This record gives sequence, structure tokens and C-alpha cells, in this order.
Amino acid sequence: MAELGGNVKVKHGFKLNETEYDVGLSRAKNGYRLHVDGQTIPVNLIAGQEGDQILTTGSSVDHITLAVDGDDVYIHLDGESYHLQFEHSLQRLAEMSEGSAADSVKSTMPGSLVSLNVVEGDQVVTGQTILVMESMKMETTIVAPRDGVVETLHVAVGQTFDKDAVLVTLVPEEGEEK
Amino acid sequence: MIDTSKWPFDTVLVANRGEIAARILRTVKLLGLKSVVVYHRADLNTPAIALADVAVEITGDTPVAAYLDANQILAAAKETGAGAIHPGYGFLSENAGFCQAVTDAGIAFVGPTPEQIDLMGDKVRARAFVEKEGFPVAPSAIEDDDPATFLERAKALPLPLLIKPAAGGGGKGMRVVRDADQLEGEIERARSEGQRYFGDGRLYVEKFIENPRHIEVQVLGDSHGNVVHLFERECSVQRRFQKIVEETPSPALDDKMRTEICETAAGIARSAGYRNAGTVEFIFGESDGNAEFYFLETNTRLQVEHPVTEEITGKDLVAEQLRIAAGEPLGYTQEEITSQGHAIEFRIYAEDAAAGFTPTTGPILKWKVPTGEGVRMDAGIVEGAAVTAAFDPMLAKLVIRGANRDEARTRADAALRDLVLLGCKTNTAFLRRLLNHPAFIAGDVHTGFLDANPDIAAEPELPESQIHKLLAAAALSNRPIRDVTDLTPDLHAAIGEWQN
Repeated sequence: MAELGGNVKVKHGFKLNETEYDVGLSRAKNGYRLHVDGQTIPVNLIAGQEGDQILTTGSSVDHITLAVDGDDVYIHLDGESYHLQFEHSLQRLAEMSEGSAADSVKSTMPGSLVSLNVVEGDQVVTGQTILVMESMKMETTIVAPRDGVVETLHVAVGQTFDKDAVLVTLVPEEGEEK
Repeated sequence: MIDTSKWPFDTVLVANRGEIAARILRTVKLLGLKSVVVYHRADLNTPAIALADVAVEITGDTPVAAYLDANQILAAAKETGAGAIHPGYGFLSENAGFCQAVTDAGIAFVGPTPEQIDLMGDKVRARAFVEKEGFPVAPSAIEDDDPATFLERAKALPLPLLIKPAAGGGGKGMRVVRDADQLEGEIERARSEGQRYFGDGRLYVEKFIENPRHIEVQVLGDSHGNVVHLFERECSVQRRFQKIVEETPSPALDDKMRTEICETAAGIARSAGYRNAGTVEFIFGESDGNAEFYFLETNTRLQVEHPVTEEITGKDLVAEQLRIAAGEPLGYTQEEITSQGHAIEFRIYAEDAAAGFTPTTGPILKWKVPTGEGVRMDAGIVEGAAVTAAFDPMLAKLVIRGANRDEARTRADAALRDLVLLGCKTNTAFLRRLLNHPAFIAGDVHTGFLDANPDIAAEPELPESQIHKLLAAAALSNRPIRDVTDLTPDLHAAIGEWQN
């Protein structure tokens, strides 16, 4: 295991703006130490007024607003909001061993379903139109990322969905070499 | 205080949602009228439902479909005894059929007449009307008027020219011509493009305005023939043809040009016998050093950006709309309407500016509204609710007033800094980059400004110190991490200030 700074063995993963960071946290006399990028930084977080928190990082003190929602943490710092995701070590492994991303068709943006061009059980070929979605008052055609059979349609016409929602699951055609 | 005791209605139904429903309801309540709002289940946890005396649920295949269902809205009005319906903006606000149905039901429609919606709401009819009445429209040649002479008429126009497909929209198939020799060839290319994109090769050609500004004028007309304007709003900062920031007065106009453009708008409204609140939009630009403006279209409703006009004139536009709908005369002259200070509105969108302004969704875990001198927030969300893909991504409007533009800008920067929405990405950081951009500070913007300056939308790289702060806050606020850390023998602490 790479040294995080200090003699810290437990590392925690956080994702910020699509970049993953490994950090360690240890107790210090008055607060904690953050171990990151080979540095050790004295840190602390205590409750402030009106739901704010006071964050100490090295010699700087910031009043921040923070909200935790499961593994998601949202932080308002210096007038801007940030989103970090806690990455469980097991989850990281699972992501690596999961099936090909092309087994499912995900939405790249929130939207609603305008029309479906296939039904479950249909054979599709790469590039074939599966559905039409609408986002920002614009229609977008979603095509099959590879040849296969439509296993599950996860959305109905008129239904709205968020970014990264799985719209369609594909399975390989029967008899197809995997 | 407005006396509503003699009005033909004492209950107003708001046929809208989000921030505008809440904004209208505030005035309805202030006037001492009873308030009703219709809502789809998806909007249960919004400010409008909390504000209204009565909330009536409407349904639909989609949430949007519910707000477009005229029959359910009329039924709700009858059931609650509403004598007036305020349509807000969007949805049914510019639907002449709905306006007619409301009127036929003996209910006051808070807006113009169905005939005025038909005339002024249709771009082509409105343009023809405005031209016939002698107001400025961009010099143009429309192929449909007489296909045989189209090329000849186009050649007679002053350069540069813009060729547009008649069936077009969204900027597709448009071509700019700067050289007369190229006109004929470009018309042929535009025709084939129009055919390809829209299955329709018909064209029109109009004078091209370089780096145009979008300037619009607020007008009010009563049912007694009085029409006034309430000055202009500049709405040039746009993305995907949608406004993001609006302000008044426009930094582009001098007093003479302001009077000319505002009086033109009032004149157009007067020619149409326009009733209630409307907005006349113009395209404004400079060619050969001369300022020029042309009629673009009329919006026959309350605009999203109406608050900036309220902030500088002191008029509550919704109260004025209701007075007019009640049949009252305006009761003041043009000279009695004055403009004081400067106001800027920032639309708070749930979107990722750096990712091409794509919409975002998420829970509203924390929602803190800025306060202070000259700060107004018209919001359609509450903490604990969620931003979904069911509706338009505009969540709220931050409206800032200052003695002058610089003061408004400074106050806006502080207010945007204090605005907290956690759980769903918004455009507030982008808005701060925009309002601190040298061109915006100078008031030197046009409708293509954001496309020409993509650096404003791009997210600057975070300095390492900022990343460390965020990681520290994330780790310290994570219960399992903190618990594990607290349970680990405090060896380092025990041996004092041990360093690696």
C-alpha cells in the first residue's frame, strides 16, 4: 500500500470532479490529521452557528455548509458548492468486475422518454435506434451500443429519469460467442 | 393600498407552478384576495402549495400535461369560486383557446384578449402587423410573398444579409452573406439545407445584425385604451436562445435611444389596443456606427424577468395585471412612471454550465437564501424537496437592486456567494464568473456572448489547497471514517507532535 503520509494504514477513497483521491485520517492531540498526497495536515470540523460548520485545514479556517446523503457529501465552500462521493473499497472492486458497460444503455442527461422503437426480446444490431428521449426541449436518439437482444426496458413512454439512469439492458444473442 | 372591494372577483386561481406561482400568490394575498393554486402531485412540496389558501390537485400522463389541461383548471376554478385565472408564463399563458374558454366561462383571464394573443403571439402575423403600422422591422425579402421576384428583392437589401429557412428554427440552415456576388449561390445552398433539415426549401432573407443585443420593453394597457411602457430590459446573455441574466436599464442605450425604443413599444401596443401586461422584444445592434433596432416579437404575458422592472419602477406588475383584469383604468400617465437605480436578475438553473449547460437533478438537502440590502429571491423550491427532470430546470431567480449598475453587480456577487443549494448542481458559480468577466462589467454583451467566451462556462481547475479542504471536510463528516479513526489508539497524539 502506498504511503499516504504518516504511518496510516487505513485509506479512504473520495471522488471529486471525476478524480479519485485516497485519504487517511488519524487522531491528533486537538482534532485530526489528514494524510493526502504524501502530506500530513492538521484538520478539524466543529459545529458552527446556524447549521454551518467550522473547518480547520492547516492554518486556514473556513465556515462551510455541509450535507451528507449516504455516500454523497455536498460542501459549500468559499461561495461554491462541491460534491464528493465516498468510494467503498468493496464497491471499487465490484465496479471492476461488473459486466461490460455496453450491456446497459444509460442516459447521459436527465430527460423523458418520447418513444420506444423496440420491445423486450427484440434482436438489435449496433447503431439501431432503441428509443427517442427528450431533454432540454431537444430530442435525442439512443442507439444500440452493440448487437444483442433487448432483455429489459426500464422506462415507459412519458416517464422521466435522471442522468445515468439505466434505460435498456441488453443480453448477447443466443448462440453468440461471448 | 389597492382597494379590491369593488372588483368583480374576490378569488384568483393561479394556473402555474414553481417560482412564478409563488410570486403571483404573494401579491394575491397582499391584496386581500382569496388564493387558489392547481398542482400536480410532483409539486406537493413547493412554496406555492404552502402559500395558497386552497390547493387543488390536477392529474396528467406527465406532470407537465396536468398544467396544460384546460378542462381540469376550469373545473378547479368553478369548484373554488375563482373569478379570475392568472396563467403565469409558459404552459397555457399564450394559448388563445384557453383564454377564450376562461372568458366564456365568465371568468376573468389575467392577460390580453384571445384576439390579441392570436395576433401578437404569432411571429409572422405580428411582424406583418407591426410593419403595416409603420414601426421598424428588419428589412427583409420573404420568398412566399412572391417567389418569382424573391432573388431580385433579396438583392435590393443592404448587406450583410442573413438567409433563413422559412420552416426553420434553432439556427439550423442559416447563412450569412457579406458579398453581393455570393447571394445567389448561398440562396441555393440554404435552400438545399432547408430541404434536408425541414423538408421545406422556402426561404427568407433579412438584414443581418452583427453581435445583436436583445432589448425588450415592458408595456401595460388597460381596457379603457390607456397604454404605458415601464422601460426596457436587456436580456442579451443567453444560452441555447434562452435568457440567463436580465437587467434594466440597458447599458447599451442612451437617453435618446431609450425614449425611442420604449415609445416604439408603447406605440405598437397602442396600435393593437393591447390590454394587460405584455413585452415587445427588439433586436438591437450597430451598423456603420449607427444604432438601430427592429421588432422581433411580442410576448402576451408576464415575463420571467419582470422583477427587474418592478425593482426600478416600484410597480407590482402582478397587482397591475389584476387591477386591469378587474376593469380598472391604469390611473397614471407615462410621465408618472419613473425609473430609479439599476436591477439585475440571475436565473438559478439546475444545470452544469461546464457540460454544455445540461440539466442536473438531485435532492435539495440544504437551501439557504441570501439576504441583504437590495436582494430579492423569487424561489420555487424548498429544502427537503428534490429537483427532478419533470420540469424546466429554472429553480429560482435572484433579483438585485443597486443605486447604479456597479452597486448592483457588487451586491449580486455577494448574494450569489451566500446562496447555498446542496444536493443538486446549479449555475451559481458560473453566474459569478460571468458577472466578474471584463466584458460583462463593461456592459459589452450580445446574444452570442457566451458562445464567443467559452471560458466563462468552463470550470477552473481547483487549487490543491481547496481540494485538501474538501477532502478534510468529506472525511471528517463521514461517520464510519470518523468512528474508525476515533477507535484507533491515539499513538501519534500520545507521543506529541510526531511528524512523518
